Amino acid sequence: MSAPTLTPADAPAAAPSAGSNLLRKLAATPEAGVVLACLVAFIGFSIAAPTYYSTDNLQVMGRDLAEFGILAIGESFVILTGGIDLSVGGLAGFAGILAGWFNVNEGLPGPVAIVLTLAVCAAIGLWHGTMVNKLNVPPFVITLVTFTICKGLALSVTSGTPITGMSNIFGDLSLYYVGPVPVPALIFLVVAVATWFALERTYVGRQIYAVGGNAEAARLAGIPVKRRVTSTYVVSSTLAGLVGILIIGRLGVADPSVAASGYELTAIAAAVVGGVSLFGGEGRIVGIAAGAILLELITNGLNAVNVSEYYQTVAQGVVLGVAILADRIRAQYFGGSRR
Amino acid sequence: MTVEPTLEKSAPSLGRAVVARLRGVHKTYGPVRVLDLPELDLYAGQVVGVVGENGAGKSTLMGTLAGSVRRDGGEIEIDGQELVAGSTAESARLGVSLVSQEFPLVGQLSVAENLLLGRRPADSRRRVVVDRGAQRRAAEAMLAAIGLDPATIPVRRAVRELPVPARQLIEIAKGWGREPKLLILDEPTSSLGPVEARLVLDLARRAADQGGAVLFIGHRLDEVREIADRVIVLRNGRLVADLTPEEATEDRLIREMVGNEVAHSEPKNAPASAPTLLEITDLTADGLGPVDLTVREGEILGIAGLMGSGRSRLIHTIAGAQPSTGGSMTLAGKTYAPKNAEQGVAAGIAMIPEDRKQQSLVLFAPIRDNVTVSVLRRISSRGVLGPRRLRAEAVKITDNVKVRMQSVDQPIGSLSGGNQQRAIFGRAFAAEPRLLLLDEPTRGVDVGSKAQIYELIDRAAESGMAVVAASSELEELLWICHRIAVMHRGRVAAVIERADATKENIMTAAATGVAQSRTELNGNPT
Repeated sequence: MSAPTLTPADAPAAAPSAGSNLLRKLAATPEAGVVLACLVAFIGFSIAAPTYYSTDNLQVMGRDLAEFGILAIGESFVILTGGIDLSVGGLAGFAGILAGWFNVNEGLPGPVAIVLTLAVCAAIGLWHGTMVNKLNVPPFVITLVTFTICKGLALSVTSGTPITGMSNIFGDLSLYYVGPVPVPALIFLVVAVATWFALERTYVGRQIYAVGGNAEAARLAGIPVKRRVTSTYVVSSTLAGLVGILIIGRLGVADPSVAASGYELTAIAAAVVGGVSLFGGEGRIVGIAAGAILLELITNGLNAVNVSEYYQTVAQGVVLGVAILADRIRAQYFGGSRR
Repeated sequence: MTVEPTLEKSAPSLGRAVVARLRGVHKTYGPVRVLDLPELDLYAGQVVGVVGENGAGKSTLMGTLAGSVRRDGGEIEIDGQELVAGSTAESARLGVSLVSQEFPLVGQLSVAENLLLGRRPADSRRRVVVDRGAQRRAAEAMLAAIGLDPATIPVRRAVRELPVPARQLIEIAKGWGREPKLLILDEPTSSLGPVEARLVLDLARRAADQGGAVLFIGHRLDEVREIADRVIVLRNGRLVADLTPEEATEDRLIREMVGNEVAHSEPKNAPASAPTLLEITDLTADGLGPVDLTVREGEILGIAGLMGSGRSRLIHTIAGAQPSTGGSMTLAGKTYAPKNAEQGVAAGIAMIPEDRKQQSLVLFAPIRDNVTVSVLRRISSRGVLGPRRLRAEAVKITDNVKVRMQSVDQPIGSLSGGNQQRAIFGRAFAAEPRLLLLDEPTRGVDVGSKAQIYELIDRAAESGMAVVAASSELEELLWICHRIAVMHRGRVAAVIERADATKENIMTAAATGVAQSRTELNGNPT
């Protein structure tokens, strides 16, 4: 670096002018590629299998999308601060069992059971944040602990048998439609818009980006770094609880095996595909939502064209690999100095 | 213990209001007392220049004031209010503002967001939701306040897309925008061109004229003398001189900074007949070159140059740690084209990088494991490493360079900086290299230990090793080197023989890229 002198001439050269640079600007935006991939996948599968874009199938996709889309958004909060939350899948499964247990075994009304479950999940998030901040436990480890315990608890509380006979509210949440749109898809939309607003337009949200981008700068600027980090774990755990409730509504029973079905990895994959940097400080809700949508489009599409479930997993891995590769290449070409 | 240096105090206070009052402030890291200030007052309307060598305690002093370093004891009052130790928020609340050299900026966020990090724009009444318009206006006003045209630094751009000088200016605007009572500037001009440097010096003056106190940490003595109303000199964590600008001549400052503890013998001249070990022809790399240089066996070649002139890059490129993009090197007559640092080591090169903690050591690991890294293959019989052999080797290596320690089993991080650095030299020597590359060999080492490091460098050269030493401290290069290559914008501007080398001709070549008449022009015919 031969310490360049700053002159006004530097500015126009660097600031993209409209028109010719629009393409470049799009290519430099991580979210653009994912949105494009969504369109390509949707059109491609629609041509290959006309049932793909039937209302029925779109509704199925909407409902599935809601589940790991919401998980991905919560997960992204934690990743934005440079952490990782491995507990979301296990916690979602455990939250479902907890809600069913409150409702059926304790005889609490459905709404009360839901609120209690969410509160427990929030408390678990608070615990994660506290351990990460106070004792400096690596997020990977502390959330792995929770994951393991949740998985075990879900099975042991129920002795492995699903809880049946829950209030109607659970089924209503997951299986009703507003017009042609399934309620979970609407919940996903609400969560996405709310978190987008929180991250982009509120001080707390911007400070979360600052903490993830440069914790030292944030600390020196007087931002309560630890509180911000903790808040992301609370968001992640609470949203995991919400997803757990949606899952039992869809299944009609509180099934303990949900806790072990690997939702957390899909959530992380959706975040990464959507342009969230695992180093923290980078990624937007638009991208995360698009990443979740892309994974759903592909999973469902492979079903529609009768690819075996085993190969679907391979396909998911390939998508993740391509997304990461594309992101690195983009970062190298377009000066995004990501680490 | 060394004798307490007598404090020369003659700078005028003239009954001005005291902005910052420090009493008995001290800080210790491990065994080293890095700061020990019985008494220091900073007055309103004064720009106080702070000078001192690396490790003299300048950054610790700043840190204790700004709250990023928690002082071990003593009292600090800002405008009559007691400053709680170790809280940046408290320091900021009392009106202390630090413009750091390390730019604590968030690269992903926009300029406007960085300028208002942790704050709300004053004219925004929204408490939760960001008022982007107000944020942008406030940011532009902050840039305008330090005399910048908002067109030069677009406030919507992400900070990481901007060049280094722009980031430094943003950092300054950030500190300025807090309307500080005590403004601390940490080498604010080191990454700036002359125009921007001027702007910063004017700002320091303005802050003082508006009734604030300014602490100006400078790396260029002429700059400090020009701007300061009073110059204080730190050495080994103590305040050793408190001078008026008239008293603070360059000679005087250097004498106070260095003390008279360094007595260094003249190195013997390298035998002119010694064969050339390393020959560099048209070497280029990212931000470097083309460079032509030769180093003889037993010779100590210094690399001088301003920050960003390519000193470290040259060292790294020779070591193979940075890929070269053109040109060639021969080492002891054979073509040497390292693809990575591993090949450099295999060819007989040892590098001691500038950042000991990040690039050299595993701080929490025992000394024995740290110093034997370079010889593991040699001391493992049939690929198996015995603990007794390892320990014996570690003792040999550390004895060879006289590391002061209790045992080789203690963590290397528990040693003082000078001892750590000696241990690293021991490790490098143990590999028996032909070429020793040094990058800032005495950074973060106290003055007493420096002399011992210089002795080690001499010893290496006497044993026939070629040494290439890059340093930002001119005095150091003048003491230890046989020849000094001066870099300017990635090229070698001049190669100066020891007999001809003065601070002036080195600085001239470093600043202008043009060698003075008596020096040999090398590799830069334009």
